[in-house]
Amino acid sequence: MDGGAAELREAHRLAGHADRVWALAWNPAPGPGAGPVLASCSGDKTVRIWKRAPDGAWHCSDVLEDTHNRTVRSCAWSPDGKLLATASFDATTAVWRYDGADFECVATLEGHENEVKSVSWSPSGALLATCSRDKMVWIWEVQPGNEYECISVLPGHTQDVKMVQWHPFLDILVSVSYDNSIRVWAGDGDDEWHCVQTLTEADNCGHSSTVWAVSFNLKGDRMVTCSDDQTLKIWDTSADLSQPKTGEGHESWRHLSTLTGYHGRTIFSAHWSSGDIIASGAGDDAICLFAEEQSGMAEGPSYKLVLKKDKAHDMDINCVRWCPQDPRLLASASDDGTVKLWELRGSLLD
Amino acid sequence: MAGGLSLRNENPQDPQTENNQRHSSEQWKRRKKNDTQREGPGETKQPKIDADFLEPSVLLDETHYQEGYKSGYNDGLPSGKEEGRQVGLKMGFQAGEELGFYQGCLDVWMSATCIDQNAFSARVRKNIEQLAALVRSYPLSDPENEQVQDMMEKIRLKFRVITASLGAKLEYEGRLASSKQEIEYL
Repeated sequence: MDGGAAELREAHRLAGHADRVWALAWNPAPGPGAGPVLASCSGDKTVRIWKRAPDGAWHCSDVLEDTHNRTVRSCAWSPDGKLLATASFDATTAVWRYDGADFECVATLEGHENEVKSVSWSPSGALLATCSRDKMVWIWEVQPGNEYECISVLPGHTQDVKMVQWHPFLDILVSVSYDNSIRVWAGDGDDEWHCVQTLTEADNCGHSSTVWAVSFNLKGDRMVTCSDDQTLKIWDTSADLSQPKTGEGHESWRHLSTLTGYHGRTIFSAHWSSGDIIASGAGDDAICLFAEEQSGMAEGPSYKLVLKKDKAHDMDINCVRWCPQDPRLLASASDDGTVKLWELRGSLLD
Repeated sequence: MAGGLSLRNENPQDPQTENNQRHSSEQWKRRKKNDTQREGPGETKQPKIDADFLEPSVLLDETHYQEGYKSGYNDGLPSGKEEGRQVGLKMGFQAGEELGFYQGCLDVWMSATCIDQNAFSARVRKNIEQLAALVRSYPLSDPENEQVQDMMEKIRLKFRVITASLGAKLEYEGRLASSKQEIEYL
């Protein structure tokens, strides 16, 4: 472990997309002996797969094209690393099978009325959630033979839904929206899904503008959200909202901390690493890293800025993602059409 | 009438105006009393006439009001009924047409199930049954029921769940398309 102050070193620049890169997804299970595999999706209607060669250089191994006829806005790998879902402005979500070498489009999910903004696999890989500008959240169940059945169409948000994300091990779904709220959804085991909590500005110290992204920590007891209001908010998500409420004293998720003043523009993405570092990417072209303050105060956790990387890209940063196999490897995607890989070096302790 | 009252209030100092104000408030009370005592369209009770010789000219206001009200009511009643009939026909037809569409789809799906029990998965079969129950329980004869909008939304959502699972591009085209929003490229 090297000493010295923490720094984020630009390690690689992945160029190839012909338009802005919207989102990234690292394969959680690339296969025994395989190196990390990164998927990026773009306004150029394609998805690119990036792999590291034995000499350490990164190259684009696959281009998934001719499937979507508009921007691909989001992509997500299934927990077993064998399926890649891609969500597009063409109102469809495609599912690709990956056998370690090749990709094949095996299903197309239709149903949303307009642009799909995000897709997320449940921790078991049995369910797939999508959300759209049509204000709905859809939940699908994976069936044998590449079939997908729609379980539920969930109204609730009053505006465009920007992102959906499952809890790391519970069947709880979180959605965030242009309506400034965060909604938590749980099922009753019988295909009936309901909104079990809504986190708003008025009632929960929630965001005062569009919420763009949400990310859970490894343990699932914390979640970070980021917003057009230029703040990041940390939430205590230890209450198991998937269990039916048992009368009085049911717990709910609550606000813990707000990080203000670190970005001067909309914060589009936040991601919590398995090493407990929060990365954020914003319209100010900067990446910030935050870690929990080890102050030991009884009042609850607080978070401090570890470092800010100004001009990380030439334009807005749309997505930041930590590599699951290497918690010090961070990928960022930007309007400038590139993906950058960063190495976190140095000591995080003061 | 209202215009007349305000003119009188312009000079509160004027004793003449004060008298008129007092008369106006009395007239207003009398008019209100007459309205509540009204027994049917076009019928009015004659106001009590006492010895004040100015009374009839002051009450001219009132008489004109009564005539005007009667005339307007008689015009409004038939035209209101006609408009109501048109709107009801349109809204009723629209709701009926949409429900008929869903019932038609349900009938086809249920026929398919009769021929082949396994035509659809268990989940889809359950959703079809739930949709059938929702359509059946829609209060066709009770358009004033506040819940009709919610029920129609539930029906539409359940229909979409089924068609999405079947991969069928089925949609009720009759109703007005949702308002176009500007495309947001974010």
